[in-house]
Amino acid sequence: MAKTTITFFLVAAFLVLNTNVWAQQQTKPDEHDHSQHDHSGHDMNQSTHDHEHDHSGHQMSQKSGSAVDHASEHAATTADHGHDHEIDHSAHDTQATEHGDMHHHHHMDHDHIMDHEGTMIMGQNLDKLPSSCKSISEEVEITVRAGRKYSKNFPGTAFAFDKQQWNVKPCAKVTFHFINEDSIRHQFMMHGLPKYLYKYGMFHLEVTGPKTVSGTIIVPGTDDTFLVHCDISHHMEKGMKAQLVVGKGGEDIPSIPGLTPYNLTDRYEAENLPKASDKSSNKAEKNLISMEITEFSNPNLKKYSMMLMGVLVGLLSIPLFKKISFRKKSD
Amino acid sequence: MPSHFFIVLLTLCMTFSATIAQAVSKLPETIKVDPSALTAEPMCDPKISPAWREAQEIEGVKIAASPGCSPDNPAWIAAAVKGTNNISMDTLMKTGLSPDAIIKTDDLDGDGDPDRIIIKLEIMELNGRSPDFPGIIPTFDIAPGIQPGAWVFAPKTSGMSTENFESVRANPLLRLPSPVIRVEVGDIVQIVLENTHYFPHSIHLHGVDHPFSHGEHGGQDGVPQTSEVELMPGERRVYQFQARQSGTMFYHCHVQTHTHLSMGLAGMIVVEENKPNNWLQTLNIGGGHVRHPSVAVREQFDQEYDLHYHAMDKELTEIIQKHNDPRLIAREMNQRYDITDSTEDYFTLNGLSFPYTLRESLIIVEPDQKVKLRLLNSGGELIAVHTHGHHATITHYDGVEHNPMAQIMRDVFDMAPAQRLDLKLETVNDGKHSYGEGDWLIHDHREKGITTNGMAEGGSMSSIVYKSYLGEHGMPKVSHFGIDLSEYFTKEFYERRYPIWQDLDEWASLGSPAGQMGFDAGTQTSLLNALYGLLIGFFLYLIFAKRESIKQCAMAMVSRLKSPKGSNQ
Repeated sequence: MAKTTITFFLVAAFLVLNTNVWAQQQTKPDEHDHSQHDHSGHDMNQSTHDHEHDHSGHQMSQKSGSAVDHASEHAATTADHGHDHEIDHSAHDTQATEHGDMHHHHHMDHDHIMDHEGTMIMGQNLDKLPSSCKSISEEVEITVRAGRKYSKNFPGTAFAFDKQQWNVKPCAKVTFHFINEDSIRHQFMMHGLPKYLYKYGMFHLEVTGPKTVSGTIIVPGTDDTFLVHCDISHHMEKGMKAQLVVGKGGEDIPSIPGLTPYNLTDRYEAENLPKASDKSSNKAEKNLISMEITEFSNPNLKKYSMMLMGVLVGLLSIPLFKKISFRKKSD
Repeated sequence: MPSHFFIVLLTLCMTFSATIAQAVSKLPETIKVDPSALTAEPMCDPKISPAWREAQEIEGVKIAASPGCSPDNPAWIAAAVKGTNNISMDTLMKTGLSPDAIIKTDDLDGDGDPDRIIIKLEIMELNGRSPDFPGIIPTFDIAPGIQPGAWVFAPKTSGMSTENFESVRANPLLRLPSPVIRVEVGDIVQIVLENTHYFPHSIHLHGVDHPFSHGEHGGQDGVPQTSEVELMPGERRVYQFQARQSGTMFYHCHVQTHTHLSMGLAGMIVVEENKPNNWLQTLNIGGGHVRHPSVAVREQFDQEYDLHYHAMDKELTEIIQKHNDPRLIAREMNQRYDITDSTEDYFTLNGLSFPYTLRESLIIVEPDQKVKLRLLNSGGELIAVHTHGHHATITHYDGVEHNPMAQIMRDVFDMAPAQRLDLKLETVNDGKHSYGEGDWLIHDHREKGITTNGMAEGGSMSSIVYKSYLGEHGMPKVSHFGIDLSEYFTKEFYERRYPIWQDLDEWASLGSPAGQMGFDAGTQTSLLNALYGLLIGFFLYLIFAKRESIKQCAMAMVSRLKSPKGSNQ
């Protein structure tokens, strides 16, 4: 009997804990939603941000035209045209091909496009099919937002992406619109892609915010999970980490905020922080002390009353003593 | 039966004590550490191309020869002189800098050099904890195997923080110390701080003529208690100034300064005199030899070196290696770390400790040269830099020229925290300025200054080396004296695992003694105690087991004693 109750309690406790964890994971909104529709409004805001930005920091530069400007224009276009995928894609494709031969841009090779502000697209793949694919399965656009504010949902982090996981089909052609909402550099860096298509197996977008940069890849035809992170020192360690799941996915990437467990966790111990309730108990203590100070006559009174009672008892017991002594004498 | 055991135990004890007495008569052998057991590093890092040492011209920028082992990347110098906006993509790609790291435009006074300078700085963590694996990332060694957690102002870079995807070593632009900044009097300078770090920070321009507040950019003094709020992660702030006075100055983070400065957020900033056609090397990454000095310096000196002395507390640097959660790091640093109980453990010159100072921070001279040395002490204590073989003249204190008639020569230069000294080192062999050619030490004469976490030789010591004493790969030539420096290029040395005097003679008279044969004294006594305990235990057991017979014996004794008494009565 006792055994069954104990097991019952254990199971109950386990369930409670589990639901806690589950609830924590649920707090992160729309984790598996990779549609771009609901962001159209934001894209508009973004383009105004860019406008302000252009006036503030970079007037000095003599170079004009950049991947960034195109990208933000493109983002605005997305918003204007609503949810029409076909139009979006054709627009994007023309814009993307432009990257290859833009005269204004610094660029190293086909693989590496960089403008005068360090906005970078590296390892882009618009048309090379992976060997495991016969054709492109779907064309997807994913908007990725990066910034300090997205770390708000994950206590103990400093930077984050707006989502921690994106799902696409095998052989999908994926265009990432990477919106950096901070005023510093951030990266969207993907690792582990096939090296015969992607130099070092990497696809890499980088931009100083607030600004947008876009780039396209074709994912392999097998189920796999790819690390996405920002490689600026300690951005990944402090939360800017996510994964792209192709098909059913492969092994989960560790230590993605709210998604996968950390390999190494910190040790936490509660601090003795001041609390409002402590303050009120402090008050009670103070009152006690002040009582003792102000009513110092009280203990004396008690002393005297005790003495008085003693005297009374003594007086009352005199006859008893007399009787005892009398008896002894009578013996 | 048990009484037999008792006897056996007693004999055991006797023999044991006897062996101990015998062992004392001979001392243990000397054990020599085999050099092959050490993780030896090449004295000069082979990753650096020897071509970098040569005098050259890139993008029209004349870059002086720098014969030391690890000279600055010449592309860095070209980018720093021209600005990243005025060089070819090819050169830019060799630097790893962001294309907007240094923007130079507008010759406002028409004297042939740009007068609007924008310098973008990021804040990078070195040797911090990772939640993914037990190591630290990105790594930066100040000496073999010594990787203190640090923060630095870094020139704005492009791409990864590590050398590549496979490596955990930091990108060469991310390093201690924070870079030396050079601007000209009258330049409209914007230092743009892009806070890429997870903590709030700021920049205080110590000694540089800057307005307390700027109409457009707000507070400019970097102090969260007087001029501005902390610059949060992900944010950017512009510090704008137009300096009217020249001099060697200092910049550092003024948020929680007692920890942030020591963590490495401190660098030298030099305001150069305004001269025509004065294209300055805006950043001297890693400090040391200035390979493209200003016009004013070139007029008066043959060479110029930036020498940034710094010190770090091991306990402080370890905080970012113990925790990953920024809240825990903040609590540990802000509320628990007590600088009044701290001691400095790592002493660096231009971000490195001996022997790595030999790679980067040698002062390489020739006879009859005038060399300008700019010294900064960003440590928490006074230092006393001693130049072996030379007396140098102090020309400037804290960036201000000392009365030329009253300038003095010394061979020990005491520097309070944050203090700067400009020295004129003259290699004239007259017994005062110089005692002649050699490989002359330059070191902090507080003796702990030549240690790394208390292990000598380390710390901020380096050398003033005459070219005739410079060996291959730009390292000092010492082998002709029978000196071998290779032991310093092993991490075991700084782990205190190498008996440093073992190779002074053939039989390693001061090598490491082997452990004692058998047991050491501590185990011996404890073993003996255990034996005695066993004996006592057995004795007690015997008493217990034979209590009946003992009782009987006792009774018999008592009765025997009593009976004669009774008979007497």
